[in-house]
Amino acid sequence: MVKFDFVVLGATGDQGRICGKDLLKSGFSVLLCGRKKERIDDLLKFKRARFEFVNVRDVEKTARIIKKSGAKVVLNCVELRLNLEVMRACLLANAHYLDLGGLQEMTMQQYKLYGKFKKMRLLALLGCGSTPGIANVMARYAVDKLESVDHIDLGFAWDSNIKQFVIPYSIESIIYELTTPAVVLEKGKFRKSNACYYEGAEKIRGVGTQNMYCIVHSEVYTFHKYFKQKGLKSVHYTAGFPEHSHQAIKFLIDMGFGSKDKVSIKGCEVGILDFTREVLKRQKQPKNYQETENIWVKVAGRQNKMNKTIHMECLTTSLEGFEEAGSNINTGMTISIMGQFVLKGMVAEVGVTAPEACVPEEEFFEELARRKMVVYEDGRRIN
Amino acid sequence: MENGVIGILGLGAMGRIIAKDLASSFEGNVVYLVRDPASVKSLAKRYCATVRYADVSKPETVARALKGINVVIHAVHHEFNLAVMKACLKAHCHYLDLGGLFHFTREQLKLHNAFKRKGLLAILGMGAAPGITNLLARYGSDFLDRVEDVEILVGMKDKSTYKQVSPLSAAYSLQTILEEFSWKPAVFKNKKMVFVEPLSGRVPYKFPDPVGMQKPQFTIHSEVATLPFTLAARNVSFRIAFDDDFVERVRILRSLGLTEDREVEVKGKKVNVREFLISFLKTLPKTIPRKIDQYEIIRVVVRGSKARKKKELRVDAHIHGKDETIDKDTGVPPSIVAQMILKKKIQEKGVFPPDLVVPPELFFKELARRKIFIFLNNKRVN
Repeated sequence: MVKFDFVVLGATGDQGRICGKDLLKSGFSVLLCGRKKERIDDLLKFKRARFEFVNVRDVEKTARIIKKSGAKVVLNCVELRLNLEVMRACLLANAHYLDLGGLQEMTMQQYKLYGKFKKMRLLALLGCGSTPGIANVMARYAVDKLESVDHIDLGFAWDSNIKQFVIPYSIESIIYELTTPAVVLEKGKFRKSNACYYEGAEKIRGVGTQNMYCIVHSEVYTFHKYFKQKGLKSVHYTAGFPEHSHQAIKFLIDMGFGSKDKVSIKGCEVGILDFTREVLKRQKQPKNYQETENIWVKVAGRQNKMNKTIHMECLTTSLEGFEEAGSNINTGMTISIMGQFVLKGMVAEVGVTAPEACVPEEEFFEELARRKMVVYEDGRRIN
Repeated sequence: MENGVIGILGLGAMGRIIAKDLASSFEGNVVYLVRDPASVKSLAKRYCATVRYADVSKPETVARALKGINVVIHAVHHEFNLAVMKACLKAHCHYLDLGGLFHFTREQLKLHNAFKRKGLLAILGMGAAPGITNLLARYGSDFLDRVEDVEILVGMKDKSTYKQVSPLSAAYSLQTILEEFSWKPAVFKNKKMVFVEPLSGRVPYKFPDPVGMQKPQFTIHSEVATLPFTLAARNVSFRIAFDDDFVERVRILRSLGLTEDREVEVKGKKVNVREFLISFLKTLPKTIPRKIDQYEIIRVVVRGSKARKKKELRVDAHIHGKDETIDKDTGVPPSIVAQMILKKKIQEKGVFPPDLVVPPELFFKELARRKIFIFLNNKRVN
């Protein structure tokens, strides 16, 4: 087997395809691993791309494939519930690990592998997508400008030019986020609240007025971990879905399409959520469909003995050559960028950590700009 | 055996209403033809019926089970209509069904000569709509020299209270409803058959009290396949009203591709999307009524001319479901008509829609005995 720069796991999924394409277009050699080769026919036309069938549930086999590839960096784009399996495979294969996030619960589990990664002098960088990912780096950028930090509000909002439901990201993640009690940090303590509770409407740059919902997200946990020494007491995460999309998602959840139960049909047992995922995956975008997403972080603290809030935003719109991905490029491309930083030694940490602890902000924002993702600080473009 | 033998193929919701009506009005023998005989054992005992095994997906079992039965009422899904009709030809049995959702009906009519040659009768769509609708149209048209328009409208008011409501509660077969919401409705317009968008035509229409204002929508239905020709009408349409919430839910299901008749691969298994959806919907909590109080009006507006004067007639069927669901309007008509065939009140041979062979007045009289009342321009006629 040829020596590869990267292994992308889940490369035949939506984010894996964006990530793989970004790496290949940047000139790297990539072993694209997944289960449905036919979904990446276009990527396999790149000279430096190969496909390998991988089921990450088989940790040892996955480790053997990583090891054989010669790649030192593994980009994990599979469903978050399998993050721990992939981390274990990386430990066995002696490779650095990056993923797209694990929400609160999985992230906490993943941090338990800190000692093992550190001992092997390996890095596990958790949450390298849009949010977590871009949001974390923007938070670091703002936090470093303040003498102390009191609270951080962050989140995302998106909309499309055509009001037709297109699955915005992994249906598993959406259902989890919208049905799991939200966790907020208040007065230095984590507190659970109702799942997906409505917080009112807000006007968002590039998106317009959007209904906002408080949901569970891993940043609440990692921000506390990395910024508490700066005095951080509160973190609050909100998500804004366009009404047509929120209605459809809520309907799916209310009807039970997100259930992990099985339905018997013609003697076969078929998982309800598995069925939902496959049907939604086939939903084609309408012609000329375009998305815009705003990831924002508002960091409130003190500077020169004065209260100050820094408002960071990253605006992403559908990109030529990645039309099918809509604004999801900000997730798949971010893990590609951060993976490249790790390969180039620009991130030298070891152990299990998050982007706000180690990703160089300015270089990262520059890479985002090359991909037409614009970062604003208090309304002023900075990349 | 002198009163004859009536078979009911399928003892689902409709089959059970038919069984109940036959039990109270028919003196001959009734045979239940089902895939799982044990499932209707107690019902058969209560209504003194016999039970035979028949599986519509295996037509040879149906032909075998029909032996000795004079008339069969086919109350299984319409996709099996043709197969059951062919089984009737083999077993020499008259045939009734509850409708063929336009396209099936058109195919079924092609068996006319085969039924005629064998001296058999098949009446297509002998429920409420199609069925009662056809006879309302026929009744109205008999007052005219020339028929111009036939406009069929169905509306319902539900004042029932419920212990539990299903997230997708429907008045009749969800499979049929999903097809009705997905297939392009046929509308006969200016003597031409056109197909409009599903869910279109949803404009407010005021039914007589207590149904009142509703928003009936164009729906694919058998009446439009036959009435333009049997009544020589210029325009024929069918619209039925569903409540806004239900329509919105089905609209979302459609927009997400969850009602499509195609296969997806789920973890290596090929699954038909619509079939999965129907199986899934069956697992949802069922609607459990506390007190049923429903009212349905089936209205047929017939316009045309009499003695060179323009005339409009509104012929309505009123069904009040008090402590029983209004579904009886679908289950009762085939029971009535099967008995008419056995009593030789209908003697034609071949394949027909109801309006060509069923005598309206006699049929309406039987409906009145079951508390389904017919009104002509708001005046009761049965």
